[in-house]
Amino acid sequence: MSAEYRKRVKRWDRIATWVITGGGMAVIAAVILILLLIVRVAVPLFESQEARKFWGSSNPSTIEPDTVLAVGMDDYLETGVLLDRAGRFTFVNFADDSTIGEIVLEPPYESPSEILAAIPHHGLGYSLLWANGAASFARVVFSRDHHVDRPPTTAFRVDTLAEFAPPEDGLIPIRTVTRYHDGRATRADLLHDNRIRVTQEVEETDLFGNVSRDSHVSVLDPAVGGEIADIFVDTEGLALFAGTKDGYLMRWAMRRVGTIELTDSLLAFENNRAISTLSMVFGDVSLAVGDEQGGMTVWFPVRPDYDPQRRVLSHIHTLKSHRGPVTAISPSQRTKSLLSLGADGELHMDHMTSNKHLFGLRPESPIRKAALSSRANGIIGLDDAGRLNVWAIEGGYPEATWGTLFGKVWYENYDEPAFVWQSTGATNAFEPKTSLVPLVFGSFKGTLYAMLYAIPLALFGAIYTSQFTTARFRGVIKPAVEVMAALPSVVIGFLIALWLAPIVEVHIMPFAVSLAVFPACFLIFIVLWQPFRNLKLARHIERGYEFIAFIPIMLLAGVAAYFIGHFVEDMLFAGDFHRWLFEDAGRNYDQRNCIIIAFGLGFAVIPIIFSITEDSLSNVPQRLTAASMALGATRWQTVWRVVLPSASPCIFAAIMIGFGRAVGETMIVLMATGNTPLMEWSIFTGMRTLSANIAVEIPEAPVGGTLYRILFLSAVLLFILTSIVNTAAELVRQYLRKRYAQFQ
Amino acid sequence: MTQLVTSVIEDPIVRTRNLNLYYSGAQALFNISMDFPRNQVTALIGPSGCGKSTLLRCLNRMNDLIIGVTVDGSILLEDIELDDPDLDVVELRRQVGMVFQKSNPFPNTIFENVVYGLRIAGMNNREELRVTCERSLQQAGLWDEVKDRLHESALGLSGGQQQRLCIARAIAINPQVVLMDEPCSALDPRSTARIEDLIAELREQYTIVIVTHNMQQAARVSDYTGFLYEGVLIEFGLTKKIFTKPNEKQTEDYITGRFG
Repeated sequence: MSAEYRKRVKRWDRIATWVITGGGMAVIAAVILILLLIVRVAVPLFESQEARKFWGSSNPSTIEPDTVLAVGMDDYLETGVLLDRAGRFTFVNFADDSTIGEIVLEPPYESPSEILAAIPHHGLGYSLLWANGAASFARVVFSRDHHVDRPPTTAFRVDTLAEFAPPEDGLIPIRTVTRYHDGRATRADLLHDNRIRVTQEVEETDLFGNVSRDSHVSVLDPAVGGEIADIFVDTEGLALFAGTKDGYLMRWAMRRVGTIELTDSLLAFENNRAISTLSMVFGDVSLAVGDEQGGMTVWFPVRPDYDPQRRVLSHIHTLKSHRGPVTAISPSQRTKSLLSLGADGELHMDHMTSNKHLFGLRPESPIRKAALSSRANGIIGLDDAGRLNVWAIEGGYPEATWGTLFGKVWYENYDEPAFVWQSTGATNAFEPKTSLVPLVFGSFKGTLYAMLYAIPLALFGAIYTSQFTTARFRGVIKPAVEVMAALPSVVIGFLIALWLAPIVEVHIMPFAVSLAVFPACFLIFIVLWQPFRNLKLARHIERGYEFIAFIPIMLLAGVAAYFIGHFVEDMLFAGDFHRWLFEDAGRNYDQRNCIIIAFGLGFAVIPIIFSITEDSLSNVPQRLTAASMALGATRWQTVWRVVLPSASPCIFAAIMIGFGRAVGETMIVLMATGNTPLMEWSIFTGMRTLSANIAVEIPEAPVGGTLYRILFLSAVLLFILTSIVNTAAELVRQYLRKRYAQFQ
Repeated sequence: MTQLVTSVIEDPIVRTRNLNLYYSGAQALFNISMDFPRNQVTALIGPSGCGKSTLLRCLNRMNDLIIGVTVDGSILLEDIELDDPDLDVVELRRQVGMVFQKSNPFPNTIFENVVYGLRIAGMNNREELRVTCERSLQQAGLWDEVKDRLHESALGLSGGQQQRLCIARAIAINPQVVLMDEPCSALDPRSTARIEDLIAELREQYTIVIVTHNMQQAARVSDYTGFLYEGVLIEFGLTKKIFTKPNEKQTEDYITGRFG
């Protein structure tokens, strides 16, 4: 060999080494990069929400702080508004710290221009109680005009939506809640003698355009509970709440005009802790209660164990406590977050569903009045010195915590804490339910049933093909099974969802019966076969082609199962198994269920397990099987004692690779599971898997939103799950390989 | 056709008569008629591909495992016809054990390797298994080396030890005949010497048929020698005679190394 040639060989060797190393490293780098990209999207989910001081007026307001009843702000965090006792709205521009306008309300029913009490509501609405007992519901409206040649400008006005005449009995209330919704005006007055007066006015237009007005006044006298501290009416005027200084909570239903019934009256706190303020969380289901000891709790009606017929107001969430009494609660109009103000002038922002304390604000001078902007992107607060402070709320995903993602959460309208995945609902006020537990459960449930079906078939098939049949037959069957793996999963999903599922639904009993009939026929056939084994004709077909004689037997078994199944259904289940299942067993039958999934996923997984297992069995050295045979072992003993243990590392790896494929498979489960995120083991119901969930929801998830990031988090979870499974599999495989090492 | 060698030996344990064997039609053994003497060592020699391993495998029907093999003629073990489709092959192989060219212990413990033949016969009595294991290992001359690590993997043994383990495994089920297919071809001279000593000892209890390429080995260990050439039994007789005064020219040429 010439020196030149040797040099060339060495050069090529070096190049090959570099190319192969580079390629391998690139693959590893690509996987890590993908993981990092997914993690990068998911991680901000756990960032905390913050309030950044945005603006603070340098001069104390010209308005005496004590006369300010309420503050508010537009959505662009540009203009603030103050309401004072004279019924005047003062608008302040943050940019140049100047008053840009004033609107003085015309007092209703010739009242003096003095407001006794005001209660702020969402969307810059205010319940106003005037000096003569008249009341009104006013709303500040900001409108933004866009111009071609200059920056947009903001215009403002105040609309009075409803007015209530002074009460006929002349009793001037302490405070008044007014509501106006869809032609129905509601006014609730807390009177000095500890009674509540409710005035309901309905305006109805009949078919001919005649307008009729109806007015009802009811006076409620809660006999128990002590002095009422605060009352509250929901947005539509359908429910009235009252909290007392002895710690009682009361609820009245006002669904029909003129009939008001007390539905709840209960001692909220065992130690008679005085309630100080009430409000309703966005969505008007949950009641937020602030008390004199600084406690913040959330309540909603729940069906109690002792009486499933009715719903009882129950204590559900406890939020972070204030140091002093809670003086006001301002709910967000976007999420289930609550802004609460303590007597010590500290603001708390908490999220109801997750019980998460988002942030607290404690400026140098205590805050006296505060409000959230409508989009919940800013907080405006008026401090003791009469200065306005504005904070911008930034970042964070208050509804996502480890608790809501993986723990049981008590959602509104649920009777108990539960794992629920339901990311969107019909209304904006919907409480997103984003527990990943049902999805992980669904992934494992589908995979488990698929593996139950696929493992025996694939393993026995591989053992038969590799050890008991002829080489020629093996040469046909193995490529055929491998072609199965090439079938696109969307085709499998399509077939099983639209073709197989309806068939199985109709013939569920024959299917169940066939699980017993097929093995039975198989055994009977083997017993009957014995006398014929040594016939000349039988010996020709016996080795490796027994299954040919077996085909007609299986067809017969299928026919038998069909008739026996329908017979059994007629006899035991009165001809309708589904109805029996639903009515007597209390379980649902979904058309797309675990049986269907087992077939579909199994079909995808079988070729993988079969192919790897068959290879590993065929690769067990001939000398081991020969040694076993030479010691007088039968074929089956040899397979069981020598071939299977020797091939066990590879068989295990095959099963695990199949498992990984089943967990990550998307298209089949997407099409054939029904995608219902249930948490029950029933074989007759579907599930929703992590992978299908991503496919279903990612097109509808706003980029950068909570759902979007949660979906990426579930992708990370899927990645981790498969890594754990693969790592565990590899460890077991290493152990088995060491134990059954094949010495050369 | 070549000449027919018929050696007559008193009280043989295995006899073949007019044995022909075909691999998918290609004939590999021609009209072999041969007697294997009881409690003696018989060596089969011949150049590669002459059919000596094939003949050996006929004696415990291991050829069944090869697809396309057909046999005609007769093989008798103590008057039982072996070439009978109804014969219980499992029982035959318990009577005629085999040791292979390359040691092939199962990937399991030393103990489990030795008692494998008993276990597959359904014996589970621990004491009996233990006794048999010790006896077999002692007969195979391996007991002193492995008695402290019976429950360690057999794959940790050296090549020579593994081969003796395979012999222990073969004799644990107490066969009448032990077939050895070039048992020393993969071993170093020291290990080979041990195995050869072992064969000499085992002759007391078992009939041994050994296939070997090594003329000296055949001369050292065997009592009788058969020379095969291209599927034909050329000569069979006492080892002394074959190696000193062979009747056939071909035998002499092979033994003296002129071909093969």
